[in-house]
Amino acid sequence: MMKSKLGALALITASAIALAGCSSGAAGGEAASGFDAAGAKGQDITFWVMGGDTPQELRDYLISEYKAATGGTLTIEEQSWGDALTKLTNQLPDAKNTPDVTEIGNTWSPTFTNAGSFTDLSPIYDDLGGDKLLKSFVEVGEVDGKQYALPYYFGSRYITYRKDIWDAAGLTVPTTLDEFNDDVAVLKTSSQSGFYLGGEDWRNGVSWTFANGGELATKDGDTWKSSLSDAKTVKGLEQFQQVFSDASNAPVTEKDSTPWVNINNDRDGAAPEAATMIAPGWAHWSVGDFTGDKVDDAGQVVLDANGAPVETRTWNDATFGVFPLPGNDGKPAPVFAGGSNLAISKTSTKQAGAKELLRIVFSSEYQQMLGKNGLGPANTDEVSSLGDDQFATALIDSALHSKLTPAAPGWAAVEGKSYLEEFFGKVAAGGDIKALAKEYDEKIDKIING
Amino acid sequence: MTSTLQRTPRAAITRTAATNRRRKAFAPYMFLIPAIGILLFGLGYPVIWQVVTSFQKYGAMQQLGGQAPPFVGLDNYIAVATSPEFWGVAIRSIVFCVVTAAITLVIGMLLALLMTAIGKASRLTLQIGLLLAWAMPVVAATTVWIWLFDRRRGAVNYLLDLIPGVDMNRFDWLGTPSTFFIVASVIIIWMSVPFVAFSAYAALTQVSEEVLEAAALDGAAGWQRFRSIIFPTIRPVIAIVLLLQLIWDLRVFTQITILQDAGSRSADFDLLGTYIYKSGVAGLDFGQGSAMALFVLALTIALSWFYIRSLLKEDKQS
Repeated sequence: MMKSKLGALALITASAIALAGCSSGAAGGEAASGFDAAGAKGQDITFWVMGGDTPQELRDYLISEYKAATGGTLTIEEQSWGDALTKLTNQLPDAKNTPDVTEIGNTWSPTFTNAGSFTDLSPIYDDLGGDKLLKSFVEVGEVDGKQYALPYYFGSRYITYRKDIWDAAGLTVPTTLDEFNDDVAVLKTSSQSGFYLGGEDWRNGVSWTFANGGELATKDGDTWKSSLSDAKTVKGLEQFQQVFSDASNAPVTEKDSTPWVNINNDRDGAAPEAATMIAPGWAHWSVGDFTGDKVDDAGQVVLDANGAPVETRTWNDATFGVFPLPGNDGKPAPVFAGGSNLAISKTSTKQAGAKELLRIVFSSEYQQMLGKNGLGPANTDEVSSLGDDQFATALIDSALHSKLTPAAPGWAAVEGKSYLEEFFGKVAAGGDIKALAKEYDEKIDKIING
Repeated sequence: MTSTLQRTPRAAITRTAATNRRRKAFAPYMFLIPAIGILLFGLGYPVIWQVVTSFQKYGAMQQLGGQAPPFVGLDNYIAVATSPEFWGVAIRSIVFCVVTAAITLVIGMLLALLMTAIGKASRLTLQIGLLLAWAMPVVAATTVWIWLFDRRRGAVNYLLDLIPGVDMNRFDWLGTPSTFFIVASVIIIWMSVPFVAFSAYAALTQVSEEVLEAAALDGAAGWQRFRSIIFPTIRPVIAIVLLLQLIWDLRVFTQITILQDAGSRSADFDLLGTYIYKSGVAGLDFGQGSAMALFVLALTIALSWFYIRSLLKEDKQS
């Protein structure tokens, strides 16, 4: 009884606040689609982050800043990348269960923005950074010139290699892709991959396609078409097939995984599995000499999702080095940009609070915090916060030439059906590239336009 | 006078009995109403939604954009029926479920027979071991199995490698569909055997000792006793356990998904459960996903039909 009375009281208070918010918003002449600081007062909102990429320090900052700005509580829920697409699909349309703000893989953005899952952010776009926000990420979240999803952070893939192993073989940092392909082939032995690349790891494998001017899909008028059979794409795929068989001991079935474990000596000092790997920029925190298991504040060993202890690794310049994957034109090869976008769920009943959170995310302070943690900030003015060490340099160099997946409405379905894992896996296994490309072009064309 | 006296109570008795019987006949239905109501609500709604959706074009625009899904007649069914990939997965699933269920049943029954033959202490140890396996959460157990079969550091490869002349160093169990499904089958058998063993053991305790003793005196050997006395007695239990295993193994999902996370995501490694999820939910084609799911429902009903028919027959006989 007491509870329901309290509940009723809370409801009345909440509606009073909401009503107050409405009236003051109207008085300010501000349309509902812009910021509404008064309306945001006391709104408790939920923010979904994907995986562990947003460090705890940044989460704490968001929660305390949100409290200071609105008095409301920000709940941050971490979703695993593997389930996120399904959870978003199921919960975004449901006002009772939707996250108010969500991080979203940039390659999924077009599907959701075209379907109308997100709030139109164009009224606040300029306030959040406008033209200064990373262009390719803004574009992937645009429909008819309106922004529905904005960049959160970017990463880019670059090469991490074992200086000691490369030196011992008398090799130096390659300047062209052909040279790279030859070098890593030399380094392969039965117990060591010259270059660790999974067969189904299309997100890294596609770099060879991009480097040869190939694309995964192209837009003709209003329709997207899968372009795996394109001559340039095929040429890149042939190189990928060659590199995989010449340099990698990874299984055909290996996906976008945790390649850094292969380049480290194991915790007992045993030789690494690989001399070279490619991974998103934030991987360098996991590369280095083993310096004990990670312990939390209470002195407990931290375990990963598989129940194994999380190792702490300390970078060692004598053993490890980084460079962007070189192209054959003297510039870094275009790699697949990693990173995320941010959006507000259209069904959320707390639009005002959600927009206040975006204001905090796109503030200069938070953008710099992203950079200091090795995540490419959305606002290009803040890129310098990444620093000027070798990681920042490799990240920025490779990001400048990075590409995104096609902004096609059906792209999330293409990824959902794992067509590209399947296709790259079959190519890596030595399949007939032209026949496979034709087969998968047909499959992808059926769903790429939504 | 005496006769009326005798008759009246008898008539009264008959009448009360009749009303009782009528009341009895009425009461069970009353008790059934809540259960049927919950079933209809809990199962009926999703099934109806699924049937309706299977005749619609229901994709991202409908799920996320709130557009009204257009009816497309049999398009989804035609697309599914003409897809060689779907039939490949369906046949693979049926073979997988029949083989896995059969092996589970044989091992489970052997363990049950073993339980009847051994002493109390060893039986308790065995039962506790089986219970622990049964109680282990699927995700935890599957993860441990993946470690055992790990390409580089797995215990399975290490032990096999110790056998002279066998080279299993870095053998990738999850790398090819055939070995992938052997691993999947081993995991599922390991998880399901306890249920079969306990059910069969419970049934075995119902086998009459006297009959067995008499048969032994008449010179029936072990196998003959099993075939002619034990098996017919436990047959009804075995039949339903087999049916349940077949249905469970046809719908297997969690183990395959976790194995795919460790291995490949290609459709060559899919069974019906993961394939429907991949095309229907992850691939954002709810219409085709529903059509496939209804196919599995039909398959399950077809499988169960034999069992239900034999149940009905036994009912009539008794």
